[in-house]
Amino acid sequence: MNQVILAMQAVSKIYGYRPVLDRLSLEIPAGTVVGLLGKNGAGKTTLLRCALGLAKPDHGTVTTLGEAAWNLSASAKQQLGYVPQSPQLYPWMKVRHIISYTGSFYFRWNPALVDRLTAEWDIPLERRAGNLSVGEAQKLALVLALGHEPELLVLDEPVASLDPSARREFLKVVLDIAAAGNRSVIFSTHITSDLERVADRVAILQQGKISFFGELGDLKDQIKRLRLTSPNVLPERLELPGILRQRTEGKNALVTTRCHSPELVDQIESQWQASVEVQDLNLEEIFLELHDE
Amino acid sequence: MAADFLFQVFPASGLPIYRQLVDQVRRHVASGRLTPGDFLPSVRQVAIELEVNHMTVSKAYSLLERDGLVELVRGQGMRVNNRPDNAGPETLRDRQEQLAPIARQLVAAAYQLSLNEKQLRQLLDRVLKEFNGK
Repeated sequence: MNQVILAMQAVSKIYGYRPVLDRLSLEIPAGTVVGLLGKNGAGKTTLLRCALGLAKPDHGTVTTLGEAAWNLSASAKQQLGYVPQSPQLYPWMKVRHIISYTGSFYFRWNPALVDRLTAEWDIPLERRAGNLSVGEAQKLALVLALGHEPELLVLDEPVASLDPSARREFLKVVLDIAAAGNRSVIFSTHITSDLERVADRVAILQQGKISFFGELGDLKDQIKRLRLTSPNVLPERLELPGILRQRTEGKNALVTTRCHSPELVDQIESQWQASVEVQDLNLEEIFLELHDE
Repeated sequence: MAADFLFQVFPASGLPIYRQLVDQVRRHVASGRLTPGDFLPSVRQVAIELEVNHMTVSKAYSLLERDGLVELVRGQGMRVNNRPDNAGPETLRDRQEQLAPIARQLVAAAYQLSLNEKQLRQLLDRVLKEFNGK
């Protein structure tokens, strides 16, 4: 059992002249569900592919399940599950056959789990994969990635093509996996609401770097919008720690900070004789504020 | 008590889910719905019923434990502590005070939406009806 399931150190990946990952570092402890959040084109897929040894970084080191990601041993690969953004399934094969074919590659394949999931998710076993709907194909790909009960499950935009009820079911499965013990899940998304329930940690990918990694609760505790009202005219720019955005209009100011604390509020109140109203921000609002720098 | 009777989480709120759980346990103790000796539902049960990550629930429970509101009884779970401030419901005034910040936010938002007092009360009545109908 590895304590750190994935470690990336100063990883750069350059396509042409564009650095998609730029000296990025990230360390994910075992047993966590991490939501990887970033805009379209931020490099989420590239990061995941580097973690899986499917893409080779130009600089830096990636260690997955304790091994160099680019040279994973067969036994490490037995511990990985991966669902790419658009899963490739053999269109001529029946679902039932794809399942047994995939299962034959793994030492530890759990047919009971696979049967349960295919039944729960109404995956038609006798249909050819080429005739599955997008949602069905996505669910099948997920079953194939779960069948060997991997230690690390990597999902690239897993719910993008699922309808709301299938999405909810899917998120439940992720929660089950998380609750089952020391297994880890990394999933990328740009849909913040998926993350809020399921993830216990968030990694935010921005300009090729991880701009935040930590507990979702901590992120919400730290980033707040402060509404200042003062009897005096406030300065155009307030010198405060961790400012993401600020706007002053006369005696009022609106400040978003990433360093919220009760002490900070005290400081503002005494420095500008202002009353401060603290506004909570949800993940979507935080995401937007972070991208507005 | 079933977890979904005890708790209601709003994942898309700016208040972290673990804080919502902590606040709600405090409120149940304040109201006397939870009394000393009662057990909270297990972390696993809450996680499954509310469909939230179990680490989030653990975090809420350990904060409650740290603050002395509950204690861990081996093999049985989290028990509401028998201590003076947990004994019986708090006064009406104290309980109203706990809700005051939310009420202020509500009134401020109503003002921004140009809802007058009567219209706000109408809304509250409707929401109360929905809640009682559940």
